[in-house]
Amino acid sequence: MATMLTLAWIYFRIGLMFVGGGYVLIPLLKHIMVDQNGWLTLRQFLDGLAISQLTPGPLAMLATFTGFRAGGFMGGLVATVFIFIPCVVLMLVVGRNYNRLKSIDVIRNTLDGLLPAVVGLVAAAAWNMGVSSLSGIQEFLILAVGFAIFKWTKVSPMVVILGAGVLGLVLN
Amino acid sequence: MSLTEIFLTFAKIGLTGFGGGMAIVALVERICVKEKGWLSAEEFMHGLAFGQILGPFSLNVCTFIGQHLRGVRGGVVAAVAFILPSFLLVSLLSWLYFTFHKLPQLQAALKGTNPVVIALILVVALDMGRKQIKGANGCLMALAAFAATVLIKLNAAWVLLAAALWALGVSLYRRRHC
Repeated sequence: MATMLTLAWIYFRIGLMFVGGGYVLIPLLKHIMVDQNGWLTLRQFLDGLAISQLTPGPLAMLATFTGFRAGGFMGGLVATVFIFIPCVVLMLVVGRNYNRLKSIDVIRNTLDGLLPAVVGLVAAAAWNMGVSSLSGIQEFLILAVGFAIFKWTKVSPMVVILGAGVLGLVLN
Repeated sequence: MSLTEIFLTFAKIGLTGFGGGMAIVALVERICVKEKGWLSAEEFMHGLAFGQILGPFSLNVCTFIGQHLRGVRGGVVAAVAFILPSFLLVSLLSWLYFTFHKLPQLQAALKGTNPVVIALILVVALDMGRKQIKGANGCLMALAAFAATVLIKLNAAWVLLAAALWALGVSLYRRRHC
């Protein structure tokens, strides 16, 4: 029980700290898990990072892995719940006040005015992902086919992604 | 909108959105904005902007939409439903890892999904751009945000804060001079 409370407290604090961007998360978790408590070796930590990046969830799914190591399934559950509490609560607060904020002219104009930057960020994500994961003609071909499907057909994107996953397994 | 439908929708997104991050955002945009019409494109992008300032934005946009539909309860249901599949998957893989000391060979599957996910994000970016980027000012801001992220790896939160200041300046200037 004491372990679970400790875990909850550790991950809640981490959740508070990584508001603002996920980049501090990796060094922070490494410091706590590897250097401070010795729950993981560096090798295990890096493997856990790879596992959490296999899933659709955010990078913070690393909390599930490290929590699992520290306290089994329950440890993983506690870690996951508590690391996400701060951002979910903050997002709920923003959501509750969103309509009221939007009715103020200055805020409305500012929000609408920054939308082109959001488009830039989305495009940049595609670019960064492409640089790190596209390496052969085969992959560019899959990209082109995918683009055509998303642009000109109504096939569900979930079906396309799962289909591409199967294709990847078969081809590699 | 029933909580069950919110749960099922976001659980499906959490189950298929391989690639994480912006892949989820693109998937959520296609399903919740384009397919189901749960919120407008502008509202979605406002939520995304807030979500990027507040950390794990893939989770944050899910929370934002759930809240938009059914208040606090809707937001919590959406967040839990989205994280649940990844949580179960990581738990299973962690157990396998610590029991058999092996990493699963799932990287091959990602070789297929990655290009498709990039295509999806591109299509969504193009759609958003056609709607939201108007005039030289908008083009310049989009390019600046893209360049700041790609070239100098500036954190998205800073990019958005800078863009907010820019937009605020423009709207105050217009108010004074028009």
